[in-house]
Amino acid sequence: MDVLREIWDFMSTAILRGGMYSLMAVGLALVFGVMNIANFAHGEFYMLGAYFGYFILTATNKLGLPQFVPPILCILGAGLGVAVVAGVIERTSFRALRKRSKGQWLMNTFLLTLGISVILQNGARLVWGGKYRGVTRMWKGDALNSLLNFGLPPDRLVAFLIAVLCIGGFVLFLNKTSTGRAIRAVSQDEVGASLVGVNLGFIHTLVFSLSGLLAGIAGASLLSVTPASAFMGTMPLYKSWFVLILVGMGSIGGSIVGGLILGILEAFATTYLSQFLGSGSQDFICLAVIITILLIKPNGIFGKAVKSAVE
Amino acid sequence: MTGKVASPKMPVSVEAAAQLGEGGLRRLVGKFGFSPLGLLVVLLALPFLLTMNDQYWIKTLTTAIMYGTLAMAFDLTSGYIGIVNFGFAAFMGLGAYVTGCLCWHLGWEPWQGLFPAIFAAAVLGLLLGLLTIRLGGIFAACMTWFVAMAMMSVTSNWVSMTRGATGLTIPLLFESAENFPYLLTMIVICLISYLFLSLLVRSKAGLAFQAIGQDQEAAAISGINANYYKILNFTISCAFAGFIGWFYAHYVGVLTPPVLHTRVTVEIMVISYIGGRGSLWGGLLAALIIIPSMEQVKSIQALSNLMELRLLLYGLLMILVMIYYPGGISELVKSILKKTGLGKWSAAS
Repeated sequence: MDVLREIWDFMSTAILRGGMYSLMAVGLALVFGVMNIANFAHGEFYMLGAYFGYFILTATNKLGLPQFVPPILCILGAGLGVAVVAGVIERTSFRALRKRSKGQWLMNTFLLTLGISVILQNGARLVWGGKYRGVTRMWKGDALNSLLNFGLPPDRLVAFLIAVLCIGGFVLFLNKTSTGRAIRAVSQDEVGASLVGVNLGFIHTLVFSLSGLLAGIAGASLLSVTPASAFMGTMPLYKSWFVLILVGMGSIGGSIVGGLILGILEAFATTYLSQFLGSGSQDFICLAVIITILLIKPNGIFGKAVKSAVE
Repeated sequence: MTGKVASPKMPVSVEAAAQLGEGGLRRLVGKFGFSPLGLLVVLLALPFLLTMNDQYWIKTLTTAIMYGTLAMAFDLTSGYIGIVNFGFAAFMGLGAYVTGCLCWHLGWEPWQGLFPAIFAAAVLGLLLGLLTIRLGGIFAACMTWFVAMAMMSVTSNWVSMTRGATGLTIPLLFESAENFPYLLTMIVICLISYLFLSLLVRSKAGLAFQAIGQDQEAAAISGINANYYKILNFTISCAFAGFIGWFYAHYVGVLTPPVLHTRVTVEIMVISYIGGRGSLWGGLLAALIIIPSMEQVKSIQALSNLMELRLLLYGLLMILVMIYYPGGISELVKSILKKTGLGKWSAAS
């Protein structure tokens, strides 16, 4: 029984974590694939999502709504709020840069997102201070409590389900709607897409907002696991970039799988390797894997050639 | 900038005299990697720096010049071959920790740690360069970042070697409590670095760097081994980070893991970009302007604890420069010089 229990714990940790990594990585891959922006402010969208979620949750909890309404409001509100912020950022900065930039677009946007990240992090710290803002439980209810007997933390499980829902909805949106088709067209060929009447400016803003939406949802739904704080975004950003390099940049399907792979890797590192390597074992194994990948298959596990490998 | 266009405003006789001595002077000065005007500025600034006796300002200037030198080394990769070393602070921290550990565990003298510090940073740079540079800039940026994060985790967790968050105590470079010797050392390091880097970018290798930075495919077609030069560039830049890390360790005296933090990289990067890409001296000038003014902001009582505000200003400045004035301070200075007719003196031969 112990072995089974161990395997069960291992797999549940891996998959529950992996779902969230996928959710983060998908947004990053989308922005990289469509706009060719290496977004290093993606973690800050996660951070904003957590803050927005926290404020909405504490505000709505006081209203005496049914038990499951405040968390839903919190996650939806956080996602939408971050999407708006992301849209505003795209309109004010990337659009201006696009008009002026003459070359080295990828590197310029990389630096621009770094600047945005610094501003958002320190702005959040200025406005909300150094206090950690989290909740102990988001989703309450007897049905959820019984999950604990199986070693499944309810909040993580629900967050995983939300991730699956969001990713599923997002993939449907990309493949079945005309806007989704327009997004894919832009990612394949900007000039071609604009020739057939796709509004490039709108698509760019939409894509950036969408990635913000996904990151914001991720931040809000993990509120009970990682409390909101100004510098919390670095870790999710690091993980999402790890996934992107692992599976090949800009591949959306790949990053879904990549998130799960990362979840498994991390669960493996914490369960089996930390006794040898100490608390740095996750970093160690991630680095070892990424170096191997770069040596053997530099375009990632599922990689096609990278869009702008020359730069 | 060609520098050959004489300003029409200049009186004829002055111009003739200038042209007479121009070639020889510029060649002579250019051998040391300076433009005539640049050398003049340095010579004018030196007595001012060397007669300073306010301890606060000496410290601030040492820090400013240190950041400026780091920004120059950073600019060698970012400004010339368009690759961002997003783990730059970790290379500096590696140099610092190498000399620190040698002094702590083996009882070495500070100066003995100099070569190992440079060597360690250069070797790590070489390995990362070999691994990532052929894949393109974003891979190098991510990879150096990953390695920096891993190194920070190692320095925090490998307590028996680095003493973790307690801090590694390191013998200081000088026994006296005066700050002035450090300023002097830093100025010397800065001048050596500038000399080396500016001669490098004017050499054949430097031409290759510029060609690669402008158009890698065209450079490759004209027979430049792009990967070789990019890795060379990257390694040299990292070696200088190790060099300055060595100074930092023996200047501050205590090392803690946050030295390697991405925040430090961002500060260096912002200074380098505000200074202007591909100018080397721009970063130094930017550091000399930004760091003392940030210190002033810090000294305002109401804002004393607001490290965040300072970083926020950095971020904002960087975005504004990136979008609206990508040439940075060096471009601004060049255009002013051009307008006043001093342009040709600001270009080295």
